[in-house]
Amino acid sequence: MWDRVAEELPRFFTYYNVVFFLKAMFTTFLLSLIGCVLGSIFGGLLAVIKITKSKVLWPLRALALVYVEFFRRIPFLVTLLLIFFFFQAFGLEVSVFTVALVSVWVIATAFIAEIVRSGLEAVPTTQWEAAAVMNFNLLQTLGTVILPQAWKVILPPAFSFFVLFIKDTALASQIGVVELTYSAKVLNNKGFSAALAFGVVLLLYYILSYPLAKFGAWMEMKLEISKHRSM
Amino acid sequence: MNYTIHFSQVVEYIPYLIGGAWISLQVAFLAFCGGMVIGLFGAMAKTFGGVIIRRVVDAYVSFITNTPQLVQIYFLYFALPEAGIVLDSYEAVLLGMTLNAGGYLTEIQRAGFLSVRRSELEAAETLGMNLMQQVRYVILPHIMKVLFPSLSNLYILMTLGTSMAAIFGLEELTGRALNINAETFRSIEVFSLTAVLYFFVTVAASLTLLFVGRVFFRVKGKVF
Repeated sequence: MWDRVAEELPRFFTYYNVVFFLKAMFTTFLLSLIGCVLGSIFGGLLAVIKITKSKVLWPLRALALVYVEFFRRIPFLVTLLLIFFFFQAFGLEVSVFTVALVSVWVIATAFIAEIVRSGLEAVPTTQWEAAAVMNFNLLQTLGTVILPQAWKVILPPAFSFFVLFIKDTALASQIGVVELTYSAKVLNNKGFSAALAFGVVLLLYYILSYPLAKFGAWMEMKLEISKHRSM
Repeated sequence: MNYTIHFSQVVEYIPYLIGGAWISLQVAFLAFCGGMVIGLFGAMAKTFGGVIIRRVVDAYVSFITNTPQLVQIYFLYFALPEAGIVLDSYEAVLLGMTLNAGGYLTEIQRAGFLSVRRSELEAAETLGMNLMQQVRYVILPHIMKVLFPSLSNLYILMTLGTSMAAIFGLEELTGRALNINAETFRSIEVFSLTAVLYFFVTVAASLTLLFVGRVFFRVKGKVF
């Protein structure tokens, strides 16, 4: 294995292959970033719907509950295929990148909704009651009382979910999105050693994910200290 | 839209799909058990081991947790034959999932080890227990309570992760769904049915875990 890798190494790192890998790495990063940002917006919305108490809103609450529980319990691959065939059946001409993006968005919404909800619930009930006594409406309560305390609880797990999803987007290679895993398959099909192609891609994923994971751990530590000080 | 949804063609395949779900659960269970053993040794090495062994375990955990499981299995399946080790798809998937679970479980179990208080270990030492006895009688019962939520969470994620095996041609739930799709071309029906089955499989797994937690470790938890 090693002599084959050593022999192919100079032919492997040509200008075009390096550019190809970097572009693929950027696609991987972009896919999880945009997906998670969209997921955060909609997930936050779902979490707020889930904590409302009003009797009129119960259908919305039920819908949010079903959505969150369902999409947290089906694999990313199945979601991806389902959405892929859905677009196909409806005759919508979209790129595979869009399909993958929508899948990440759908899944991220469900997971982040759960993270945000537990963050909102981590704020003591007395704070909610105090806000209610001061006659704040829901938006005022969230904006001025709950979120300033809850974001420290929400941010670390949300960030680690984002890092987790960088790895999960590897499955997007199955529908033909040219991201890191797909680029390894392409180079393997071109005749390069699988050990070399997949080894390099493993390394690139590591380079992408490790600093972000470290940053997440650092952020968690920082926020935890300040949390104890303020409460 | 020129696609009409017909479930009638797919309904007859439900028993076939349920058989696939059973294989998914088996793979997840075997990989989880293997991962628990690796994780236990890893966590012990990280807590009690010397500098070099700690570094090695750290490198393993950091590598596993920062690279995608799919590419790890690709590596095992396609790259190892170049070194003369040929794994069939079931072995490659199981080995990949076990190694992957081992990395995550090392971190989870280490966090549990850290939750055991110094004074408890000193008390155990005073009673003349050796290291294995301390792990068996003091550390394990204590950490199970702390760890059970994250363990059951990982177990569910692993059950979902088994869908990757379909890519390597293993006929578990997703693999069988792909087969039916190729036969009937009823893609949306097949995959929505598969999604529903995954939902029920993971709910069943959650309920089982809840029961095990309640009975054996006196842990309180919730399914939803």
